[in-house]
Amino acid sequence: MDTKARLKSILADAMNLPDLTLDTYDDDAPLFGDNLGLDSLDAVELVILIKKHFGMEIVDMEEGKTAFASMNTLAAYLDRRLPA
Amino acid sequence: MNRTEPVALTGLGCICALGSTVDACCAGLFQDQRHLAPPSRFTSAHAIRYPVFEVRGFPEVPGLLRTSALALHAAREALADAGLDAAALQGLRVGVVVGTTVGSTMNDEGFCRAHRADEEPGLAPMERILNSNPAAVLARTFGLRGPCQTVVNACSSGTDALGVGAAWIRGGLCDLVLAGGADELGRITYNGFISLKITDEAPCRPFDRDRKGLNLGEGAAMVVLEGAASHRRRNRRARSFLLGYGSACDAYHPTAPEPQGAGLKRAIAEALAGAGLPPEAMAFVNAHGTGTPENDRVESRALQAVLPGVPYFSTKGFTGHTLGAAGAIEAVFTAVCLEQGRIPANLGFSTPDPELGGTPVAQATTVTGLAALSESLAFGGNNAVVVLGKGEQA
Amino acid sequence: MTRITVQGLGLVGGFGTGCGALAQALALGRSPRSSLEVPTGAGPVLLDAFRADTGALKDLISPKVLRRMDHITRMALLAARLALADAGLEASGHEGLGVVLASGYGATASTYGLLDSMINDGDACTSPTHFANSLHNACSGNLAIALGANGPNLTVSQFDLSVPSALLSARQWLLDGRVERVLFGAVDELSDLTGYLWYRQHGPTGPGPMSPLRTRAASALPGEGAAFLLLSSRAEAQPGYCTLENVVLGPGPMPPTRNLLVLGADGRTATGARYAAAAEGAQVACFTPLYGSMPVAPAFDLAVAALMLRAGTLYPTPSGAPCDFPCVVAPAGPLAGQGLTCLALGDDGAFGSVAMRPISP
Repeated sequence: MDTKARLKSILADAMNLPDLTLDTYDDDAPLFGDNLGLDSLDAVELVILIKKHFGMEIVDMEEGKTAFASMNTLAAYLDRRLPA
Repeated sequence: MNRTEPVALTGLGCICALGSTVDACCAGLFQDQRHLAPPSRFTSAHAIRYPVFEVRGFPEVPGLLRTSALALHAAREALADAGLDAAALQGLRVGVVVGTTVGSTMNDEGFCRAHRADEEPGLAPMERILNSNPAAVLARTFGLRGPCQTVVNACSSGTDALGVGAAWIRGGLCDLVLAGGADELGRITYNGFISLKITDEAPCRPFDRDRKGLNLGEGAAMVVLEGAASHRRRNRRARSFLLGYGSACDAYHPTAPEPQGAGLKRAIAEALAGAGLPPEAMAFVNAHGTGTPENDRVESRALQAVLPGVPYFSTKGFTGHTLGAAGAIEAVFTAVCLEQGRIPANLGFSTPDPELGGTPVAQATTVTGLAALSESLAFGGNNAVVVLGKGEQA
Repeated sequence: MTRITVQGLGLVGGFGTGCGALAQALALGRSPRSSLEVPTGAGPVLLDAFRADTGALKDLISPKVLRRMDHITRMALLAARLALADAGLEASGHEGLGVVLASGYGATASTYGLLDSMINDGDACTSPTHFANSLHNACSGNLAIALGANGPNLTVSQFDLSVPSALLSARQWLLDGRVERVLFGAVDELSDLTGYLWYRQHGPTGPGPMSPLRTRAASALPGEGAAFLLLSSRAEAQPGYCTLENVVLGPGPMPPTRNLLVLGADGRTATGARYAAAAEGAQVACFTPLYGSMPVAPAFDLAVAALMLRAGTLYPTPSGAPCDFPCVVAPAGPLAGQGLTCLALGDDGAFGSVAMRPISP
């Protein structure tokens, strides 16, 4: 399973976001704000999920903000930082 | 919003990292004492050892949660300060209202681990919790015959408890109310706050440009609220008066404050209206000031808007954030500051933040005013404010 | 003296959702029983239990808003929305509405969820969402957001006396004129934690119906649910269900009353003898077999009392007599203007009583 598909499955389950796994979901759509209704509490939950499932620590929330912009940016961020 | 009858505070009790009596704690505020260290009573696997403000040398009480034991300690001091022994309490309707967070949560890690490991854990840890409802413990220990209430409003619980108690007195439900807050440090709370990314690994810096978050603390404070009739009859000097109380919910977000501080402003307005005093009559504000980027920004701007020119400071640089105890501890500090006519420096502040409303008190200062405000902002969006008045001469 | 009326009721529990479902259960004298699977050292044990289904929420609240809400918050939100609707009020935008919530055990499912994340994934993977949801006032905070209720907000936890204790403060807010309306509610949930606690304290559940007036026998069944009352000190457009006359809390014994007693006895032997002593010689009714045993069951007693006072009729006590102490189990029939007092007892003998009267024309 590629990173993006794995991410979607994890978030859909852990954060109760079934729409993420639909074919119609737009991977460029903003993750935060009105689209999915994610907010600052979800942002810190996301940090924990990434640590738990990908072993990666996001220490600086500012760095996190850019990475979390959309599913595509988040998948790309993880792919860049995970060992090949 | 109506003017409310002042309610006397005839007894004060306090225990926190600064010390185990009101005098020790308040002296510590003016000696720049900061007892901050990594937790000694529990461990955590976090790489960073976020420091906390522990109450040192406080013995465990078998069968009781530490939170209730801390509440008992502060209650004993408050009752003694009010000149109330068991005989004096006889025949009086004395209510109890205590704010807490940890003290009411059905949390025991050992029990949960065993249960999840398909063991059959005995109920002793749960029974300890069931036996430790803070208000019930105080009522039982002192044989109090009035209403009993544990307030679980997160970080505003201590301030809310004072407001509830004062309302019972004015409503004629009680002659006296033992009111305050208590909370203990624990591994679960510690890990929870760290997960929210709002804790600082360095000493917290309330209202400072470089603030990174809060340090947790523990403790308890209790006050004896006394109705006019009982106060006159016993002729005990009031250490302070509760002149007004206000509270309002942001209805905005589970953990973040509403950016415009609308709820806080409404709570302040209600408290001032209850006291029948204008903003400029406040000698100072004991702010919530946790040191988190969000709280300090929202709070300072609200203060600048509705209490311009009134000095404000946070005492959490001395105590940490004591959760359910905070509002009560800070009310006690406010009463004593009015009594002594001086306010401490906002420990942890050095660099102003241009995004904030003004700057906090930078060094210990004398004050001559007769009233002051203490406020608490909580998860869940609660804002609670008390206006306290200077007490009577001893 | 300020008159306080109950303007709306919102309920979810073992009997179903809404006043109609409770009224039906009252008429039939029973509620459907479900089950609760409790993890134990010897494998999962199935207890009979009264469970609350929050399915009706999806017609009222968007998935986006519901997403992070745990079961206890969902029960409370459903009951809160129903109470507002029953009072003829809007679903949201409630400037200045006070909110008071009582819960005996709080959010125990989220508490275990928090501990699970710590235990299974390590301290550094503690879930902030479960932590936020495990706070006792997360529920009332979420209610305030969903309803736009920006008045004072208070959550109280006092085990079996949570309901009368919280109601004391709600009533005082109205008497003091702090607010003109209070959304007063109570909620407790069944979870792995409370289920296990129940099982270890009471053992497996029996086959029979609950018979709380047999105070020396153990017949309790665990329940969960939420009961909300919209209280008002205003002259409202609709008359409302009943008035709230008084709330008294103390270490006991309760002062005598001429009102019929709606007893919070729930088939647990810890409190059975105390109810027998408190209600000796009195006219009594008891409806806990319709919703089960939980610390906030007294809020359902308040709802039943409100329904009966508006209808002017007493419902029959389910599994009625026999009772094993001297009292008069009030038969079904007209109430004839009589008031009702709901009585809750803690297992240390403390009591909380709530006196209610019919609305006088």
